[in-house]
Amino acid sequence: MPDDAFRLTESALEMREMQTREYEGVTDIEILSASAAVLQDLGYAIDEIEKELGVLSASKRADAKDSAEIAGKIALDVADCLLTLFIGCENDAYQSSKDVQDIKLTLVVLPDSGRDGAHKVRLTIQRVVWAKSGDLYDQETINDAEVYQAFFDKLSKSVFLEKEGL
Amino acid sequence: MRILFAMALFMLAGCAAQTAAITAGGSQVELRQIQTREYDTLDKRGTLRSVVATLQDLGFVIDKADYELATISATKLQNYEIRMTVIVREREGERVSVRANARFNEKPIEDSKSYQDFFTALDKAMFLTLHKVD
Repeated sequence: MPDDAFRLTESALEMREMQTREYEGVTDIEILSASAAVLQDLGYAIDEIEKELGVLSASKRADAKDSAEIAGKIALDVADCLLTLFIGCENDAYQSSKDVQDIKLTLVVLPDSGRDGAHKVRLTIQRVVWAKSGDLYDQETINDAEVYQAFFDKLSKSVFLEKEGL
Repeated sequence: MRILFAMALFMLAGCAAQTAAITAGGSQVELRQIQTREYDTLDKRGTLRSVVATLQDLGFVIDKADYELATISATKLQNYEIRMTVIVREREGERVSVRANARFNEKPIEDSKSYQDFFTALDKAMFLTLHKVD
């Protein structure tokens, strides 16, 4: 097991900032409802909501195919066939390419201890990518700031709609 | 016939080995000590929220959260899988105990260092809960 699995790394603060936004003038329940609506828009299933703790978890299975990767791996298989004079001809490389991914996320809404009426929303996302063969391809926490930004853009709109009762 | 008997015996042994895993585990008392920390607070909600915040800081996604039962389950994926469950219990003398247990891939984590690291991170998040001025 890696030594730092349970340690706060230097990037922890940076990650927290990337994954957190603040909303004012809305209740935690309104934020959770607005979040659930965004997640439904995005095709997620809600797995868990615990409103006492402001926790919402959701997941979905999505396509993970990468056409460039598939093309490259088919080319490898073809080359393999040619090299082995079609004797050892199997599409192993193609089978090892990305197929589907299971995405799981948690959103936590907490009152901001410093400011009355303000709430902090923190989102964390993970995914497991499966190969065509059914084997595990990759599992990771999403560190891409754009992904979080895109979600929060949608959430901000949804919070606005929720507030206006639309 | 003898072969059949041997096969049956082999299968039975296999079953026993599989079911033994259900209740297998290490030394209960020692493990509890390693996995538990107590805090001087009555604030169960604040403690649970600190646990959630700490797990998020450490890169976990929350699988289950139950305020009534004060239980949080979470998973961390990073080329490996860690699954952790944290239970908060109110103790006598205005204290709460926080117990965590985790597994790394298929193996239970039983070394004290991992839990020390977790509680060191939790201590920081608990600071506000412990020093809240109402």
